[in-house]
Amino acid sequence: MSMTREQIRDFVMTYLEATECQFLEKSPHHVTVKLSPRADRDLTNRPYYWGFIDRTGAEPETMSFSFIFDPEAHQAAEKAKAAREQANAGQPMETAQEDTLLGRYFGAVRPLPVLGPGRIQREELAFGSPRLKQIFEAARKGGRYVYLFEEPGPRQRTALLPAAYEPWLGVCFKVEFCCDMKREELHFYGVSLQSGTVDESFQSRIAGKPLVPRLPENIHIEPTRLSLDAGRLALEQRLTERIQAYDDIWAKEARERLSDELALIDTYYKDLIKDPEPERAQGAMEQYEARREEIRWQYEPRIVVSALGCGIFHLRSPR
Amino acid sequence: MNPHPSGPSPQPAALPDLHAPIPIDFDRSWFNELETRHQKGGPWDDWKLFNLALEAETASLVTSFEEMQCLKHLNNVTPLPHQTETARKVLFEMRGRAILADEVGLGKTIEAGLILKEYIVRGLVKKALILVPASLVLQWVRELNQKFGIPAVAQKKEHSWHNDVVVASMDTAKRDPHKNILLNNEYDLVIVDEAHKLKNKKTSNYQFMLQLRKKYCLLLTATPVQNDLGELFNLITLLKPGQLGGQSEFAANFVVDKRLPKNEEQLKDELAKVMIRNRRGDGELEFTKRIVRNIDVELSPEEKNLYDGVTSFVKDQYQANGGDLNSMLSLVTLQREVCSSRDAVFVTLVNLSKKLAPDSPIRDRIWDLVDLIRQIKANSKAEKAMELIREMNDKVIVFTEYRATQEYLLKYFRERGMTAVPYRGGMNRGKKDWMMDLFRGRAQVMIATEAGGEGINLQFCHQMINFDLPWNPMRVEQRIGRVHRLGQTNDVHIYNLSTKGTIEEHILHLLHEKINMFEMVIGHLDVILERFEKQHSLEKSLYQIILESGSDEEIASRVDSLGREFDTIKSELDAEAEDRGDSGGLQQLLGG
Repeated sequence: MSMTREQIRDFVMTYLEATECQFLEKSPHHVTVKLSPRADRDLTNRPYYWGFIDRTGAEPETMSFSFIFDPEAHQAAEKAKAAREQANAGQPMETAQEDTLLGRYFGAVRPLPVLGPGRIQREELAFGSPRLKQIFEAARKGGRYVYLFEEPGPRQRTALLPAAYEPWLGVCFKVEFCCDMKREELHFYGVSLQSGTVDESFQSRIAGKPLVPRLPENIHIEPTRLSLDAGRLALEQRLTERIQAYDDIWAKEARERLSDELALIDTYYKDLIKDPEPERAQGAMEQYEARREEIRWQYEPRIVVSALGCGIFHLRSPR
Repeated sequence: MNPHPSGPSPQPAALPDLHAPIPIDFDRSWFNELETRHQKGGPWDDWKLFNLALEAETASLVTSFEEMQCLKHLNNVTPLPHQTETARKVLFEMRGRAILADEVGLGKTIEAGLILKEYIVRGLVKKALILVPASLVLQWVRELNQKFGIPAVAQKKEHSWHNDVVVASMDTAKRDPHKNILLNNEYDLVIVDEAHKLKNKKTSNYQFMLQLRKKYCLLLTATPVQNDLGELFNLITLLKPGQLGGQSEFAANFVVDKRLPKNEEQLKDELAKVMIRNRRGDGELEFTKRIVRNIDVELSPEEKNLYDGVTSFVKDQYQANGGDLNSMLSLVTLQREVCSSRDAVFVTLVNLSKKLAPDSPIRDRIWDLVDLIRQIKANSKAEKAMELIREMNDKVIVFTEYRATQEYLLKYFRERGMTAVPYRGGMNRGKKDWMMDLFRGRAQVMIATEAGGEGINLQFCHQMINFDLPWNPMRVEQRIGRVHRLGQTNDVHIYNLSTKGTIEEHILHLLHEKINMFEMVIGHLDVILERFEKQHSLEKSLYQIILESGSDEEIASRVDSLGREFDTIKSELDAEAEDRGDSGGLQQLLGG
């Protein structure tokens, strides 16, 4: 899978808004922002600076960035702008370009960050670029555990009876099928802590529902019958059942490869480990064992389940 | 005959059960954290970020076992089809253990980078170790970072080993204390560049690689077998012991003589399971043409005077020295420089006089020569070059051997309103990149003194001028190789400037007419030259000819005989290649 330019733009804009960055300039092809302290900690890789700020309580100076989503369109727009300015002022705009070159010149190994006007670091965000990966990582780190309520709507506030709410444990599982190759799946499951019902498409259950972090007025949360731990167990059981129902041809093939490889090294070592010289035989045996270990490590099929994120969701009970 | 008989396994019980349930491993760290936060009543994360994380994960999800993911993640490199295909084969057929044996210049580094990237994207490789010759460490680091966005670091101190992707020199890695650190670690992927240094089982390199714990492994070499089939066996044993059987089976099944394989088809099949070799001339790896034009330059009377002056000076010194060649090398340089520019001669003369005793009579002769230099007002070659460049009206790279000539040309072109940038070996990386950028952008001309080393890849330019010629054919080939390489879509025009009635004429004659250097395909030259130089150094032979010959005719005939020697070696090699073609030798094994 991948992301289109538009998707990347929407993604990055949402991140910048969510972390309360200050927008300085926006166009469909780029955005210039002054980072919020939170985004600065996430993205600029300056732990010492932030350690200093945290210790001394000094006012932090966050960095600014220009993120370019569509380099060609952006460049064309910049050129047009420069041409307009030049026409107005009659002055050539060479400085920005010089800066680029000087930046390169002083970078002994990696090129220095490319600086735009006003010495704002300028970066192209394409899928796979290190910066975008960093923003992905920041989102993952900052969005793992949630506690939310469905917004009941304005009429509920004045309703006679409080609305009944059902607590759910929702977990987005990442399932990795590994051998010498790998495939991944995401499963967003939820379990009602009241009824024990497991919903395999929890994501569509909550899609479109406005969810808020504070407790709404005039609602009533029904008591839970399942502990969190029991909820977790129910989810894991359901997921296990589902995985076990899969075609496991991939694992069989991996095991065949594994046994072929093991047989292959046997042919090589079978004489060596019978060497009449005990020391040499010992050495060969050690190598043989090490190679067997490596082959297992490489091919042995296994499934790893982790959670991308999870949370407790209070949803209005259907009545 | 079967190299992998399913004989009794030493530990038969250890074979995997194909139908055992696949173990599922639940990572429950999320649950502990959730419970802790729940008990403390928070803090809770942002719902928007939660959704973004979900979106990011969905976009990066590896949904298929067998579809290359890495190309979507690469923005700064466009791999060629044979490189992508090689990576695909290594990943999905060879399962990550392979010898990449492309011929020089076809991009083994790119292939290795693609494979590493794919494994990182899939989360199958986290820790990777890349072992290369010391001179290539920084280049690897740079390429992995810039082209592949892989945060590789060069090993500098002991603590560098903690990084996930480390590039180090083999010589460092195999020594203590580093060796111990590495052997106590395990690596998801180990890449060894120039892996032909691993062909001897007894070396410390080999023993070290044998002990290193690794899941996937790539060995890169353009010459997987040079002299002995045993070398190939050893390399493969590092990757997959048993692929060619045990040592004795290999010898019995595949070897007649150390240079002569048997059961070749079967051996080829077995090799194809662990080794990929792309060759020039395979399919689309066709090179464009080289179009050579030699341009004679008539020296002005003043220049001719200087040339003659220097020539007789050099000869006199040689005779005074009793014909000792080794002490004369710097003097012969004078004669070559005089064909390039007066500036080059001047610098060398000044340096020479500095080394002499103040009362040495040679000083006077040197100052006489300097006087001759003063009388020269124009550089006929520079004028010719300028004329050529104006005519072609295209990007062009000008090569010269001399720093002083480079400076002179820069000034000369600048004064005439032509933008030129310099390039030389002594520049640091950043400056080289900068110059390259300028050349790609607004400068029409690049003037380079260095052709070796990586980094100058000038596929966008297909005109080159040899302002003067190196006497070593390999250096000529390196120059051409900067422009005439994979990815060059145009025919390459090569202009050789040579001054009439000078030694340069003879050199060009030798390189062009006799060695046929400018049109020859790259791979063979090094072999010929190596064999030639077993007898005597080509450069020195040339020096000797120049110093000892009385007349132009004598030079010409002696240079001719050098050329014939070259011819002989070439036809010898051709004959050998044909021999091997009949009986099936090492080269043919590699697809030659």
